[in-house]
Amino acid sequence: MGDTIQWEGSLEVALRRARVEDKPILLDFFNPG
Amino acid sequence: MAAVTYPNPVVVRFISETMIPIQVKFDTQPISTDFNVKWTPAIITLDSDGKEHHRTVGFLSPEELIPSLLLGIAKISFDADRFDNALTNLNRLLTEYPESNASSEAIYLRGVCLYKSTHDARPLKEAYEKLNARDPKDEWTKRAYPYRLL
Repeated sequence: MGDTIQWEGSLEVALRRARVEDKPILLDFFNPG
Repeated sequence: MAAVTYPNPVVVRFISETMIPIQVKFDTQPISTDFNVKWTPAIITLDSDGKEHHRTVGFLSPEELIPSLLLGIAKISFDADRFDNALTNLNRLLTEYPESNASSEAIYLRGVCLYKSTHDARPLKEAYEKLNARDPKDEWTKRAYPYRLL
């Protein structure tokens, strides 16, 4: 584990990881301003 | 969120160990339309099939984000009738973040989980009594109001 959150940028990748790692997904929509 | 909450070491550890994080710009298509995002920050908890179970809109401090995510994870289990798993996350929320904004809903949902797993109505009444003792005007106290009669 690093000292920052390792964000995925693709829902498809996140879903694949979620199934393999048996974890829920945190989906964050942000406005870079 | 990017300046305060997400760099927090406790938040980094919780998210890294517990969830698969994905971050997208608010206008990214088609995902923004698919999830009907109208304002940010919008933080959504999904199960591994991509189904939404919990959402917040607006800034959350580190002390509010983690319990909100625990509530979302508990809702995933609750919606799948996995009440033991839901209770594990709700109890963690209530033990580690008892004063968080998510705690009232967690007390309510904990009572429902206990009722649905035992068919004993007493946990519903106990949830109301606990909520009412904390704050009679709280939204979740009002939602639990009928349970006072059980």
